[in-house]
Amino acid sequence: MLRHVLQRVMMAVPVLLGVLFIGFLLMQVVPTDPATVRAGPTATAEVVAQIRADMGLDQPLYMQFGLYMWRLLHGDLGVSIINNVPVTQELGATIGPTLELMFASLFWSIPIGIALGTVAAYWRGSLLDRFVTALSVAGGSVPVFFLGLMLIWFVGFQWQWLPFTGRGGPLWSLEGWQSLALPALTLGGTFIAPVARMTRTAVLEVLGAEHVRTARAKGLGEFAVVLHHALRNALIPVVTLIGLQIGFLLGGAVVTETVFSWPGVGRLAVGAILSSDFPMAQGTILVLSLGFIVVNLLVDILYVALDPRMRGA
Amino acid sequence: MADIGASAAAVVAPVPASMPKRPGMLKRLVREPVAAIALAIVVLLVLAALLAPWLAPTGPFDNDLSVALSVPGTEGLMLGADGQGRNMITRLLYGLRATLMMGVASVLLGGVTGALVGFTAAFYRRIDGLLMRLMDMLLSFPAILFGLAIAAILGPGISTIILALSVATVPLMARIVRGSAMVVMRQDYIEAARATGMSDARLILRHLAPNCLSPLFVFATLRFGQVILLGSALSFLGLGAQAPMAELGAMASEGRDFLFFAPHIAVIPCLLIFTIVLAFNLLGDALRDALDPRLRV
Repeated sequence: MLRHVLQRVMMAVPVLLGVLFIGFLLMQVVPTDPATVRAGPTATAEVVAQIRADMGLDQPLYMQFGLYMWRLLHGDLGVSIINNVPVTQELGATIGPTLELMFASLFWSIPIGIALGTVAAYWRGSLLDRFVTALSVAGGSVPVFFLGLMLIWFVGFQWQWLPFTGRGGPLWSLEGWQSLALPALTLGGTFIAPVARMTRTAVLEVLGAEHVRTARAKGLGEFAVVLHHALRNALIPVVTLIGLQIGFLLGGAVVTETVFSWPGVGRLAVGAILSSDFPMAQGTILVLSLGFIVVNLLVDILYVALDPRMRGA
Repeated sequence: MADIGASAAAVVAPVPASMPKRPGMLKRLVREPVAAIALAIVVLLVLAALLAPWLAPTGPFDNDLSVALSVPGTEGLMLGADGQGRNMITRLLYGLRATLMMGVASVLLGGVTGALVGFTAAFYRRIDGLLMRLMDMLLSFPAILFGLAIAAILGPGISTIILALSVATVPLMARIVRGSAMVVMRQDYIEAARATGMSDARLILRHLAPNCLSPLFVFATLRFGQVILLGSALSFLGLGAQAPMAELGAMASEGRDFLFFAPHIAVIPCLLIFTIVLAFNLLGDALRDALDPRLRV
């Protein structure tokens, strides 16, 4: 188990270096000169040169890369061109809301997806199965912004049940919950279809397995058979597949944040790109990518932890 | 060479030689009512996109502020007008054109590159490990991150989206092509062709590639739906087509400002995106079932 974890960590290292390098290149290829931007439009050539030297921009590229890594290791991602706020400060303020949104979405959509998929697999070929299958095909075709706009239009505007812009407050306040509801419904809504589809396939496979037949043969009730013998084994691939879908969830989160003006990392990244705030764009993309490497690593490890058969491999 | 079709079928679903010839792919496909409808919708959408300049009642940028925000059903404006008084039908036709073009370009560019990687990995086993590790790395990042990173470098635009979606498609296609190419590589006729002293390139193009086409097409069809979904989301964020160009995701984003008093501006493009993606998903599923009944669950 430990060997496996170490092996996975080692494999993540080149990816990590690649991401850091690409993050560095990002700043090299952008068309504007950071020193000129920092100095402002009225600065003289000497001032710009001074700032360039201060920022290390007059050094050769490999020195700049070293400097960049050094700053990165010290948690320095630079300063926003637009509002002069340190990138790490903005990131620190937005990561919480993004995680909040993602967890809230998973919290309600995974149980529903698993339940739908299990029911569909158990009554395979029935009207219910057809309904779930149709729902998951249709659900997998809905643009996330469409779902968000519809919820805003009906629940937020027509019926005035819930707020639909921004984050009302921390999670322990009523306002926080209310403002989280619609974004989490939107993002989770797009996640039900893939979870239901994966669960259905996995449960179908397990239902035909011999240990399920044995469980039935020894007279266990159907409920126990499905819950303890079929679903429990089917959950291993489902958990892995859900882990692999986190990328899909992140994509949805970026859009959901934009639709609901939710103050998360995704919205920050998109705003930075659209306003050519390169340090901010670089920082957000870097942090999102690093987060991703960690999530993939965790899923990998979780997979082995869940399935003892994988341990020797 | 006459049995290429038969051997392609053998790769997808081995059938004993004594079995009667199965009806043609297209026939099997349209026998399913859902697949037939999906195919019809796809054909209609593609025709509408191709003929947009002739079908559109006005030019794509013609506007008349006096009819701005007109609701569907207004005299002369069957689907209403947008915030700048442009005919929605025209905008939708041109938007459909841009969106489908974006999808085709991404699937083609990413698919062809991925297929080349896949064939190379299956054929030259020495670099297989390296190539596939590289693909795994690409695969570990979601398309949205490619979209954000490429937009940060190149700036927003439709080519940015095409590039991002292509990069995200390459590793998926590479895996699928490699998988089916490995099966084909074990067939006797590949060994026979190799024994005749055929060059590698010719062997890949004439014997390997044609026999891997069916899974490749199924994947491309299913991927097309996903690419449209992803691409329109990136456009919605403002990273794609820029005003005044019509693109369905960007139109939905423009319509967001008028959601409470003229919802049709956002809703109709959304519905159109949904229809495109749904049709391609259904068609892809049906194609897979028709080509490989074993995969039907």
